[in-house]
Amino acid sequence: MSDDPLQSAAPSGTARSTFTLEDRGFLEVPKKWRKYYRHWEGDGDSLAPNEIVCPVCKVVIRSRREIRAGDRLYCMPCMSRLLVVDDGTGSLALEVVY
Amino acid sequence: MTDDNFDPHELHPDDFLKEVHSFEFWFQSVDGYLSDRPYGRLEASNDIRIEGAAREALITTLCNYCVGETAALEGASGMIAIAPNRHSKIFLATQVADEARHLEVFLHRLGELGVADAEAEIARRANPNLVRFKHRLLELVGTADWAGALFAQNVILETMEAIAFDAHAQVADPITAQILDGVVKDERRHLGFGENDLGRLLQDDPDARVRLGAIRQELDALVLAAFDGALADAGSVRGDRPTLGRDYLATIDRLGLV
Repeated sequence: MSDDPLQSAAPSGTARSTFTLEDRGFLEVPKKWRKYYRHWEGDGDSLAPNEIVCPVCKVVIRSRREIRAGDRLYCMPCMSRLLVVDDGTGSLALEVVY
Repeated sequence: MTDDNFDPHELHPDDFLKEVHSFEFWFQSVDGYLSDRPYGRLEASNDIRIEGAAREALITTLCNYCVGETAALEGASGMIAIAPNRHSKIFLATQVADEARHLEVFLHRLGELGVADAEAEIARRANPNLVRFKHRLLELVGTADWAGALFAQNVILETMEAIAFDAHAQVADPITAQILDGVVKDERRHLGFGENDLGRLLQDDPDARVRLGAIRQELDALVLAAFDGALADAGSVRGDRPTLGRDYLATIDRLGLV
């Protein structure tokens, strides 16, 4: 992974929360990857610290770790490589990495 | 990648791209949400009777969906020959299968609505803007313009189809909604392939933005008009319809084609 610029960009610092992922009924990727994604459930839904919405296809991407700026994530349903960034308001956002 | 606990976000970027472009990835994905849905619908579902103006509007909408899917079917199959690498060729082969399925399920739904001669009905009800778009897309494919064809089909057409189908599914009868829900799941791959592959292409050839900007000026209004009209026919509430343009423009903005 040492040649992966997005991995090396991830900041070091305080320990992160970790999460045990369970399948949330997302069927659009092969079974072994399904627990890493879920659908946004509309009003009343909220994102956990290990979740973020893909800007391309609007699927919720899930990680085993609390998501922080500098992380690299993949959206398999729409084939997007993504970089977590601080959006300037204290929230996290995703930029598509082509 | 046989370990079920292997985190996909840990994949090397090259391995990620190889995985999501693969026929195996496609096969296992569609198996998850289509294997129990012949013609895109659950077998146990009961249809409701659709009559009068609502039936006419749904037939017109489905006929235009068939025009769009036929354009994508012919476009994607032609693009295999001009795709610049094997990953793209394999992915486009899966897209061809998806587009053929979409056309089939919409034709089947037209049959359930009592349309005896779907070909004639599609010809009669086709939106001229969408027909013009199809001709222009196939011209781009025919002249081996990979960037132009990819932009027209997998960005303009697929993005607007995905948004329109999703909005229609919110107000459709239960059977049509199930069919559209399955199609939208496929469209996520198609529009994602378009944006990401084109994004990589534009990094290597930034001058292509000027030419793609001209294609955008020519074509996106045609598709926007066609699908906005289809959503109106389908009964989507006006307040939801600006999403069609907003989400499409977000994609254009990310690609730097504004």
